[in-house]
Amino acid sequence: MSRVLSWRAVVVGLLVALLPALPFMSKFYLLLAFDALLFGAIAMSLDLLIGYTGLVSFGHAAFFGLGAYSTAILLERGVLSLWACLVAAVLVVGLYALVVSYFATARRGIYFALLTLIFAEVVYTFFRYTQTFGGSDGIQGVPAPRLMPAFAIDTPLRNYYVVLAYLALAYLVCRVLVASHFGKVLVAIRENEDRARFLGYNVQRYKMAVCLISALLTGIGGALYPGRSAFATPDLMLWTVSGEFIIMVMIGGLGTLAGPVIGGAFFVLLQEKVSSYVDWYFMVIGLVLIVIVLFMPRGLLGIRAMLGFKQWRATA
Amino acid sequence: MARDGVVLEVDAVSRSFGALAALTEVSLTVREGEVFSVIGPNGAGKSTLFNVVTGIHAPTAGRVRFGGREISGLAPEAINRLGIAKTFQITNIFPEISVFENVRVAAQSRARESGRLPSLWRLPDVGDAVTDLLTAFGLTDKRDELAENLSHGEQRYLEICLALATEPTLLLLDEPTAGMTPGETKAATALIRQIASARGLTLLLIEHDMSVVMGISDRIAVLHFGEKIAEGRPEEIRSDPRVIEAYLGPDEE
Repeated sequence: MSRVLSWRAVVVGLLVALLPALPFMSKFYLLLAFDALLFGAIAMSLDLLIGYTGLVSFGHAAFFGLGAYSTAILLERGVLSLWACLVAAVLVVGLYALVVSYFATARRGIYFALLTLIFAEVVYTFFRYTQTFGGSDGIQGVPAPRLMPAFAIDTPLRNYYVVLAYLALAYLVCRVLVASHFGKVLVAIRENEDRARFLGYNVQRYKMAVCLISALLTGIGGALYPGRSAFATPDLMLWTVSGEFIIMVMIGGLGTLAGPVIGGAFFVLLQEKVSSYVDWYFMVIGLVLIVIVLFMPRGLLGIRAMLGFKQWRATA
Repeated sequence: MARDGVVLEVDAVSRSFGALAALTEVSLTVREGEVFSVIGPNGAGKSTLFNVVTGIHAPTAGRVRFGGREISGLAPEAINRLGIAKTFQITNIFPEISVFENVRVAAQSRARESGRLPSLWRLPDVGDAVTDLLTAFGLTDKRDELAENLSHGEQRYLEICLALATEPTLLLLDEPTAGMTPGETKAATALIRQIASARGLTLLLIEHDMSVVMGISDRIAVLHFGEKIAEGRPEEIRSDPRVIEAYLGPDEE
């Protein structure tokens, strides 16, 4: 089709759009599917940093949580327009991301990861230990946002299509981005940051830009969350959530965009399935992750290449 | 461009690291179109000089002017954008992307979109420039190979391609033939000379290998313990007693 969008992506998108028509898609499964797509999209946004630029952000939960709080605060105060909520989330998350990325991109490697983590912990602590926005309870029982004045996104089905539209748009944005001049420079920075500087690239500016884009995509995802859950709590910003985002990217396959979408969805479904049987579900998830990292370093999406490679060996 | 065709002017530059004086009041003038070499034993301050010119280190004292404009203290990317490119002594490429992509990302640094908002969605077409460079260095067959899979000599050439792709007017080569066999060194030297004159480039070269320097240079400066002890045409340098002493040690008698 074009260098940006393959037919395969369009077909997969249409199939996912038809998913609610399946007979067993109860409200419960629709909400589960919502989470799968939402966290898939967020893992994809994080992949711009980890997979393409080689920057490991340990603070993406803060972008997610700030997006969720922006929406919840507006909804609680009777501002019901989804668009208003999205604008608020973009402003809040954008401002915060500018500050974080300005300081974090001034340092490299482990220091970048630590700085993003510390900033996120500050945000978490503020929401958790001050009563300004509900303390540890967060903001509960907010009304559904409205797409138009007479059209509330108040059913799992409507939420599902909203998040699907968000995922599709975010995927398109990421695809265009990684195929652009900008995307090529990101990969060069990942490969050899010093060399990129000597080719005339202002590396810190590129890093800040990609941090901002990734944060905004994540924040918009967060802004859609209260529509599904009717709450925003500080737990959304816990550092373990940031860790889960990284795991989703790793499971799916670094630097592939589609891989982390699959990784995020896989993580959500696995967590749901395993946690319904045992309390210590995270041990199971941990084992799965270890197996994937050890035996499939290119993630779930890498399975195709592994299978292809075997066929090629067999015919050679 | 500049007065009397002077491209690069290093004016009484000193650089120290703590108590160690790596460079002491070194002055050089590189003119347009010439091949200027800096030689000296290990630890003479050659690399420090390069690092000052390309923006890795700011000089402790003195100035560096490029085309009449002071550049001392600017960041490496800013200096590169003014037209100074550098190759590295230890090969410094993008290992896990293809040879073509390596040169492409270097070439697109000079595209109109670079650093502007449309670069977020547009990909400038720099294919011709990339193909020309790969052809000039005999890397066309390897264009889809990952850079890390090239031989050492090919990686040295790719290194030069990256620098040239940013369309410099002054090219700094830090021991471009390091690790090459004598045969490769000879071929590489001839190729560099030929490409420099074809593109109207000015070259500033650091070399260890005297045979390379003597064959290629218009003028040579010799550094020893951070000070310039001689400057002149190759044949003058070859017979300069201070240079011989620096390289071979003082006469015992």
